[in-house]
Amino acid sequence: MTSSRRRSVALLGVVVVGVLVVVALLSAALSRPSAEAASPLVGRQAPDFRLEGLNGPPVSLSSLRGQVVVLNFWASWCAECRVEQPALDATWKRFGDSGVVVVGVDFQDQSEDAQQFLAELGISYPVVRDADSRTALAYGLRGVPETFVIDPAGQVVDRVIGPVDADGLATRIRTAQERGAR
Amino acid sequence: MTAQADRAVRRPGRDALLVLLAVAVIAGTLLAVSMSGRGQSSQVAVQAHEVASSLRCPVCQDLSAADSPAPMAAQMRQQILDDLRRGRSPEQIRSTFVNAYGASVLMTPPRRGIGWAAYALPLLIVVVAGATGAALLRRLRRPSDLSPAGRL
Repeated sequence: MTSSRRRSVALLGVVVVGVLVVVALLSAALSRPSAEAASPLVGRQAPDFRLEGLNGPPVSLSSLRGQVVVLNFWASWCAECRVEQPALDATWKRFGDSGVVVVGVDFQDQSEDAQQFLAELGISYPVVRDADSRTALAYGLRGVPETFVIDPAGQVVDRVIGPVDADGLATRIRTAQERGAR
Repeated sequence: MTAQADRAVRRPGRDALLVLLAVAVIAGTLLAVSMSGRGQSSQVAVQAHEVASSLRCPVCQDLSAADSPAPMAAQMRQQILDDLRRGRSPEQIRSTFVNAYGASVLMTPPRRGIGWAAYALPLLIVVVAGATGAALLRRLRRPSDLSPAGRL
């Protein structure tokens, strides 16, 4: 093989490798769900809100400053929300006396359905209603359930897409408490 | 008839004319105000549609907030309209959504930072591929140094 042909083959090889690298990068980027999972709010101040209560008085985030807030967006029509409610209620009962507040935010729901959901599952933590979805949009909600953990300084520590479990939530709460203690 | 009586007869006619004129002026003003209000509100609606078209519906696959029938997109459209009426600029509204959802909420990547890659990369690939292809073709067409013709 002449040196010129060898160079051509080498060049062709470089092009093929280049194309393969681009294809690999693109497929890796497309298969990665983290672009949606990672919230730009993590590490930033949580958007404030004041919403009417479904099972009590109105709740504003700013009034909960100094406590860890577990903000859970849910709806009565969401099956996964039903699954995670016992974990949220257990968290509220376990951490309620140690500076942790669980707040449920009812999203795109009928009031009667939401009330029935609360009664049926015996939810004891405060639940508010996001009637115009402004709070959901401010938190970058993509669906329900979604849960945000907010530290005592009001910064978003974590976001969970999908149903939470009690142990995972406890770990996230401890992280938020440690951040608050610093 | 005296001049005074004559004036008394003419005055109702003049008064009626004045009332008519006043009514016409008021009606014209009201019409102009209503037209300009309608014009302003349609301008805001057009602007709201433009902003909604530039934002992705977060619960849909590649549909803008303007085109999606999802309730979430409807809420986005309402929020955009409300914000424009409050005097917020389209850029401020877009940045609110970017703060909550990240740059992926924009229908087209921003032309700054890493966003430039989306515009530059396809062009770069075409240029490099074209140049490489042309170089390869030139080399393959060139007769080999050790070809029988070359040895003669």
